[in-house]
Amino acid sequence: MASKAETVFKGNAVSSGIVLGQALKLDSHNRLILKVRVDDVETEAARYLRAIEAAKDQVESLKSRLEEKIGREHSIILDAHLLILEDRSLNAEILDIIRNSRANAEWAVIQATDRLVHAYLSLEDEYFRERHSDIEQVAERILLNLSGDRPIRWEDLPNDLIIVSHDFNPSNFATVDLKKVRGLALESGGRTSHTAIISRGLRLPAVMGIHGLLTSVSTGDVLLLNGDEGQVVVNPTAGRIESMRRPMEAFARTVESGAGQSGLATATKDGTAVSLRANTELPYELSAAKACGAEGIGLFRSEFLFFGHPRGFPEMEEQLATYRVLVKEMSPHPVAIRTLDAGSEKVYDGADPATQANPCMGLRGIRLSLHAKDAFRSQIEAILRASSEGKIEIVLPMISTIEEIWQARELIDQVRSRLMKKKGVKLNPVPLGAMIEVPAAVLALELLAGEVDFLCVGTNDLIQYTLAVDRGNPQVAYLFQPLHPSVLQCLHRVAEVAKKMNKPVRICGEISSNPFIAVLLLGMGFTQLSMNPMSIPQIRKVLREVPLEASKEIARQALTFITARDVHKYLVEAVSKLVGHDLMAYANEITAPSLKV
Amino acid sequence: MIRQSVLVSNKLGLHARAAAKLVRLASGFTSEIHLSREDANQQIDSKSILGILMLAAAKGTRLVISIEGQDEAEAGDAIRRLFEANFGEDS
Repeated sequence: MASKAETVFKGNAVSSGIVLGQALKLDSHNRLILKVRVDDVETEAARYLRAIEAAKDQVESLKSRLEEKIGREHSIILDAHLLILEDRSLNAEILDIIRNSRANAEWAVIQATDRLVHAYLSLEDEYFRERHSDIEQVAERILLNLSGDRPIRWEDLPNDLIIVSHDFNPSNFATVDLKKVRGLALESGGRTSHTAIISRGLRLPAVMGIHGLLTSVSTGDVLLLNGDEGQVVVNPTAGRIESMRRPMEAFARTVESGAGQSGLATATKDGTAVSLRANTELPYELSAAKACGAEGIGLFRSEFLFFGHPRGFPEMEEQLATYRVLVKEMSPHPVAIRTLDAGSEKVYDGADPATQANPCMGLRGIRLSLHAKDAFRSQIEAILRASSEGKIEIVLPMISTIEEIWQARELIDQVRSRLMKKKGVKLNPVPLGAMIEVPAAVLALELLAGEVDFLCVGTNDLIQYTLAVDRGNPQVAYLFQPLHPSVLQCLHRVAEVAKKMNKPVRICGEISSNPFIAVLLLGMGFTQLSMNPMSIPQIRKVLREVPLEASKEIARQALTFITARDVHKYLVEAVSKLVGHDLMAYANEITAPSLKV
Repeated sequence: MIRQSVLVSNKLGLHARAAAKLVRLASGFTSEIHLSREDANQQIDSKSILGILMLAAAKGTRLVISIEGQDEAEAGDAIRRLFEANFGEDS
């Protein structure tokens, strides 16, 4: 059999490394539609026709329900969907692909509808162009009827995959098995995209911004991806593969040594232990946290269990099930649950943000929990019960007075002693922590720290409240300056007090995912950082190159500047000198925005 | 074989609702019925809603219909009447 011709594509060199692998092509929804060779094409064709009939029945019944509810006028779009399902040109094309390419129906549907979607997208008239979404919806329904909403079965796939897609969002990393992915080749994206930053953090070779890649690559094609030069070779010749053998092996060795590190505790160059945990909101992010070597969950934002919940707030059992999974999966590492921190979203009746002129400073965080005590009790009960599975911690958000800690502790003790009376309930100690995110808590930290087992600094809110700036307001967003001297003074004070009082303290804000700031925080004395899971490998790598003393000097110097811009300039220079690899892509993330004239 | 020219004169043009009516009507005949824009060559099957929408025929577009088959005369009349009645919509 003649092998397919070699094709060379150029793109942006986004994440270095050279790898050989098999293309895994994802569609526009980042779904995997594999082409599978079918032996009995007529059975496959019949399977397709059954899926179409089922889809038509569903749309018919949707349509009649809609007509009952809001009248015939509005069911027109479903009428169009029915006609698309019956469209004889489309059906003929799909059946042709099944028969002539001996392909599975799913693949045939994607091929035919993708072509149509592209044709519609090229129309000038906005109304007709928008009809591409109807085709996508119909295709989605056919696929659902063909194979259900089945996720990718990673265990069936080879372990040398190179993902080929139009785009790939940071959240998509959570859905792939990183142990099986060797590279990323995308049509969109550049060096500064978030996906690019994550790829570098994961040491995943990546080339982005490759024009025309998708139409030339099929799943299973052999790809040689060169992330150093921004090149992807489809079906490379034996000679080309051979010529790249040595650089590929060299890259594989450095990845292996890096992977070895992820099992070890993180440490600075001179051996000071650092703990890197993950901030998560959804249980599915656990796999990403584990793959990136997170040493626990530093902040589980529990409000995502509450938002949009049909009963207002989830029952104790429902929360318990989630917390149990978190604790079991992360074991032996700890999981910190931040109790409900709602404010700007409506969760309970009686705490409607619409009735609060300024919800950010209103009934939110611990204030809301102490106001809606029944819901707070059930959350505490779920957390305490989950302690039977492993290490779990409670973190109280928005603490501004010592009474809030007293009241919360009293309630926790009540729930605990009630649970202890029940038979068969086994509870382990659950440390209690306070979020330090209100300037009042920083100023009175000596008082508060004495009442809790540990401290968590919520930097996003701390910056917002310290600088009195609403990040969501574009007119003042330029004032959201993580490196503002006042913010640095707050952080410095927290580190000093925690050290003096011997309280563990953890930074739980996105600023710690920036390598420059991570070094600064280390120098201030923060050896526990929690961040989005994908940033952990990069931060671990950077901290391993930094001696503790050098970071202390950087922190000392950083506190002497009078503008955020000066701090930024100094920090980028000083850290770049210490770290062997290029970090410039991260410098822009924390650029002090220019002041408005 | 019949060839006739029609004008899209309803306000919304050959949008989803009008296209659906045309597909339903055309599908009732055994003849092959094709449509093309007067200013372009591409012929589409009038029994395919995706084909008709692809014409992107706004108000004022002139279309050529070619019909071939046993019931071509009836089909031609019925389709012309549908266009003249503005698909039962506002002009």
